[in-house]
Amino acid sequence: MKRSAATCALALGSIVIGLLAVGSSSCSSEPSGGTLDRIRASGKLRWGGDMQGGEPYVSEDPNRPGKLVGFEVDLAEAIAREMGVRAEFVQNDWSNLVPSLERGTFDIAMNGLEVTKARVGRVLFTRPYYIFQMRLMARHGDARVRPSLRSLRGLRVGTLANSQSWEALQDTGAEVLPYEGVEEPYIDLEVSRTDAVLLDHIIADRYGVPHTKLRVVGDLGEGYYSIAVRRGDDGLRTALDRALEAISKRGALRRILRKHGIDDAAQARLATWSDTDTTRMISERAAAQRAAGGTQADVKKPFTWHHFMLFLQGALVTLVVSTAAMALAIPLGILLALARLYLPRTPFAWIAGAYVEVFRGTPVLLQLYLLYYGLPGLWEGLKLDAWTAAIVGLGLNYAAYEAEIYRGGILAVPKGQLEAAWSLGMSTPLAVRRVILPQAFRIALPGVTNDYIALLKDSSLVSVITVVELTKRMTITAVDVRSWLVPGLLCALLYFSMSYPLSILARKLEARLHGESR
Amino acid sequence: MIDVVHLTKRFGDRTVLDDLTLHFDNGEVASVVGPSGGGKSTFLRCLNGLETFDLGSVQIGPDKLEAGGLSHAAIARIRQRVGFVFQQWHLFAHQTALENVIEAPIHVKKVARATAIEKAKALLAKVEMSHREHAYPRELSGGEQQRVAIARALAMEPDALLMDEPTSALDPSRVGDLVALLGRLAKEGLTLVIVTHDYDFARAVCTRSVALESGKVVRDGKPSDVLAETPL
Repeated sequence: MKRSAATCALALGSIVIGLLAVGSSSCSSEPSGGTLDRIRASGKLRWGGDMQGGEPYVSEDPNRPGKLVGFEVDLAEAIAREMGVRAEFVQNDWSNLVPSLERGTFDIAMNGLEVTKARVGRVLFTRPYYIFQMRLMARHGDARVRPSLRSLRGLRVGTLANSQSWEALQDTGAEVLPYEGVEEPYIDLEVSRTDAVLLDHIIADRYGVPHTKLRVVGDLGEGYYSIAVRRGDDGLRTALDRALEAISKRGALRRILRKHGIDDAAQARLATWSDTDTTRMISERAAAQRAAGGTQADVKKPFTWHHFMLFLQGALVTLVVSTAAMALAIPLGILLALARLYLPRTPFAWIAGAYVEVFRGTPVLLQLYLLYYGLPGLWEGLKLDAWTAAIVGLGLNYAAYEAEIYRGGILAVPKGQLEAAWSLGMSTPLAVRRVILPQAFRIALPGVTNDYIALLKDSSLVSVITVVELTKRMTITAVDVRSWLVPGLLCALLYFSMSYPLSILARKLEARLHGESR
Repeated sequence: MIDVVHLTKRFGDRTVLDDLTLHFDNGEVASVVGPSGGGKSTFLRCLNGLETFDLGSVQIGPDKLEAGGLSHAAIARIRQRVGFVFQQWHLFAHQTALENVIEAPIHVKKVARATAIEKAKALLAKVEMSHREHAYPRELSGGEQQRVAIARALAMEPDALLMDEPTSALDPSRVGDLVALLGRLAKEGLTLVIVTHDYDFARAVCTRSVALESGKVVRDGKPSDVLAETPL
């Protein structure tokens, strides 16, 4: 056992070294001017965005599937036309727009990308194409929330991970809950899972205001949407700035904004915006970044002891959620298996069979969404907090798999065992409890271990309902320190150090139990 | 002790037991013989309620098994009165010899654990298995497993013991030990009904033989007479 642990550590070590080598070579950015030349040569401006971000940014036209609509779609086309090329959209997860840009998946990122402290050191920003307000919303009658960051101390505040609002909420004493989508923060606020939501006013107006129980508290500062290009692509940035300037000056930009219903008085400044204004916008944020601990805007923020502790905390969340879900899945799985095997041709067997097929046949992610966001819409009393929903959601899903493992285990116990128990006067329930299940459990153990390890990793899905577990902590930190390498490897190491002892433990248990049976 | 009246059992169109009427006295040691497929094992299983039947009845002491409606309580009482030793013994694979023997007394008869253990040890001594009481079934030879299975059945203090082909999976050199053990049990007044195709064994142990053919009793009497006329 000792030797195999050492071998594994060695293997893991060499993987780490390999990844480091790959990481350092891919860090070098493209030669300056290269991207612009390529865009001109190919006649294509590839721009990255996430159509899941929804209206009015980039989304799929509900009437014409496959066709994109949104003010950024119109803007990309206008810019491309100005540059004499064609715009080509590249779909990318919003939270990974910047890393994908750096990897060269597309030439520019333009999708409500706010000029934030963390991003200014990492990419080059053009002049803004939209000025937004960070809009605070709360429930009607909740007087605790006032139009200031200070009022949020001690409250639970939802926002998008790594947005400008996310940055603004750090160090305010608020408990900040990161979301991936724009609908969910307001649903949670309405059902009192959170106390306030701080997000860009476009999002607030479109997704928050329709909730009748919610009110706009006020605006807590402005921000800018700019186009991001890779560091070193200064030529491309200048070309984009000139194109944007031309579009802004002749009023075409505001026509686009008006068409999508997001034009307002603040946007008048865009027409008179100068390169000095851009420099000031960038340097203000770079200064804030320096004040926050960064020495120089373009120096990566190091991975610190503080991050490490947060990772351990995330690992603990993963472990607790997985273990609690398994503790629910095992007894429920046993009941389902027993119903299918010992109550045949009854409604119990039918329900158990349907349960297994439905929970196994639909994505656990969907089940989590329905449980957390769907059920409260059905009945207010079904409002689960995020932890409960995470544990119950994973537990209900895994119960279906457990049921099949136990069913297989029970079927593998020779029929003679049950007859022997009967011949001694045992009833079927007693025989199942005393004779069949203990043997079935031994047969099922490898499968159960396997499921537990799978669950450890599947538990990362609960981040969609705001539980910050290990993987979520990793993605947040990766953006924070501008590297996926160290957080990613640490994350993998932590998962491994939870699952590997588990398989050793299970193997020892199997060996011990095997001594007793057959 | 055991009264079988008009017992009829069909598997689909095939009649396996055809209107059997038989009586076994207290303390009788009987073998049931006959060609394969003659219904011997099915007959034995009917006596223990492991098999349902289509017509007739089986009366054991005050309890009666009837075709169709059998109350679970009646079956459980009958099973406690009539022990069963399977051809392949079917010891509980996850329990030691001792645990196998105390299982039913504790969980069916609700005997105190200490009492059950004390009695189980006496029974294991009787079947000469004391030295292996902590062994698991897979660690025991066929003959040893059979002895534990006998002790397990005896732990429920039955009046009769049903045995299905006790010598078929046994090393021939161990048959003598089994004959001796069953002789001791018969002397204590235990009724034995043994399905077998081993005539030497039947002659050595039994006081009566019943030959079954095509589900009917074709001969019934002294082993020497019945076995001589019944082809193997």
